[in-house]
Amino acid sequence: MQELNYWEPGNLLEAVSLLSNLGEKGRPLAGGTDLLVKMKQGPANWNGIVNLKGLTELKGIAFDGQTITIGALTRVSDMMADSWVGLHFPILVEAARSLGTPQIRNIATIGGNLCNASPAADVALVFLIYEARLHIMGPKGARKVPVQEFYTGPGQTVLEPGEILTAVEMDVPPLNSKGVFVKHGKRKSHEIALVNVAVLITPQPGTKLIARARIAVGAVASTQLRLREAEESLSQTVVTADVLERAAELAEAAVNPIDDVRSTAAYRRQMVRVLTKRALQKAWGGER
Amino acid sequence: MKIPISLQINGEMYQVQVPVQKTLLAVLREDLALTGTKNGCDSGECGACTVLMDGRPVNSCLILAVDAVGKQITTIEGIGGIAELDPIQEALVAHGAIQCGYCTPGLVMTAKALLDSNPHPTETEVREGIAGNLCRCTGYVKVVEAIMDVSRH
Ligand SMILES: Cc1cc2nc3c(=O)[nH]c(=O)nc-3n(C[C@H](O)[C@H](O)[C@H](O)COP(=O)(O)OP(=O)(O)OC[C@H]3O[C@@H](n4cnc5c(N)ncnc54)[C@H](O)[C@@H]3O)c2cc1C
Ligand code: FES
Ligand code: FES
Repeated sequence: MQELNYWEPGNLLEAVSLLSNLGEKGRPLAGGTDLLVKMKQGPANWNGIVNLKGLTELKGIAFDGQTITIGALTRVSDMMADSWVGLHFPILVEAARSLGTPQIRNIATIGGNLCNASPAADVALVFLIYEARLHIMGPKGARKVPVQEFYTGPGQTVLEPGEILTAVEMDVPPLNSKGVFVKHGKRKSHEIALVNVAVLITPQPGTKLIARARIAVGAVASTQLRLREAEESLSQTVVTADVLERAAELAEAAVNPIDDVRSTAAYRRQMVRVLTKRALQKAWGGER
Repeated sequence: MKIPISLQINGEMYQVQVPVQKTLLAVLREDLALTGTKNGCDSGECGACTVLMDGRPVNSCLILAVDAVGKQITTIEGIGGIAELDPIQEALVAHGAIQCGYCTPGLVMTAKALLDSNPHPTETEVREGIAGNLCRCTGYVKVVEAIMDVSRH
């Protein structure tokens, strides 16, 4: 294992300046559940670790009645236990419950789940349907990026060297909306998803119409995807079996999975159709 | 790059010099001879390396020793010894929930944290609570029974 250098900056600006100087050679450390696995796999092109643990401004959850702001260093288990998250963003809790094991959830952070940019990430997928905005701080100052513009490829994001994700911000969805998270793996406990799907349906009050649908899928393309065409096919429609089937077909057509040791592309594509339909049915059925 | 650190383990302070990349698990076993904590997979999958950090179960194979500074760490050595077993250990023995024993220290730590935060869990909560502790021998039934038994006393 190669020699590593290590820093523990005491505040955000210090961390940004350290990481800017290190450039491609530096990596922020949050929980480390992804970073340590990579470190153990052998020499990497980076050799400096900047531990974010001293950055208290990246911890904690704040809610103002309309918008929730979750610090990037919030542990997955702490987010699951937060009552505002549980009340207004329940499928975030569902996804978190499926992430790893209790031990992993006590270490892993939500910022790490996003920044690792795995197409299969569970908590990160749900941020897509809640249309989260990511707060980023870097050498050129602060910026906000919608989560759907955050990923550029597997393991890759728009973060520039020196930039740190500081928080995730989301608005409470309409109170009558209903979400569902489905994760498909080979066994029940701590498995990376073969396919994961998150949907959020908002009915038009007093009608049988869907006002708006949001659908996100993971592990079936180089980044996680919002499925706009499938969403459009549902908006302002009366729900029937045919309408749901059509949306599921559009979902299947929009993805581009790969063959790997865990599954084939053809199987994954089929699972997108099956799981999207199932998630939509459940979200709609639970509402009436 | 070696870094001098102090770790608080089972209520005592230990001073060690560690390379950045060394995990808490490796320091416990190799530098401090606290070998009750086991290395199964070294990658977060099996739970044999479970210790408590500020009271919560974590995989010590996925935590850098330098990152554990300032935390209260509890290992199996801090739970109970042959002379005085913890009720969880007693129950595991009484229920025949230990075969090769390799998973046991990690399992005891997880069960301890589970019962500390939720003294009367349902069977489902116990199963979910120990989902990160793999056991190749027992088939879990006796393990779950043992933990449920402790929760009833
Ligand atoms: C056994 C096991 C099972 C797992 N199961 C699942 C699962 O079921 N579902 C799932 O989604 N994931 C799973 N994971 C992956 C991992 O636990 C999660 O992705 C976790 O949320 C990562 O968070 P972390 O804080 O540990 O990240 P770290 O490892 O600390 O960081 C991950 C990456 O993001 C960067 N980074 C972290 N924080 C920031 C920040 N604030 N700003 C900029 N960059 C940052 C780091 O430099 C690193 O490159 C599993 C991992 C293991 C080991
Ligand atoms: S040794 Fe740490 S989880 Fe297996
Ligand atoms: S008793 Fe052998 S692994 Fe659990």
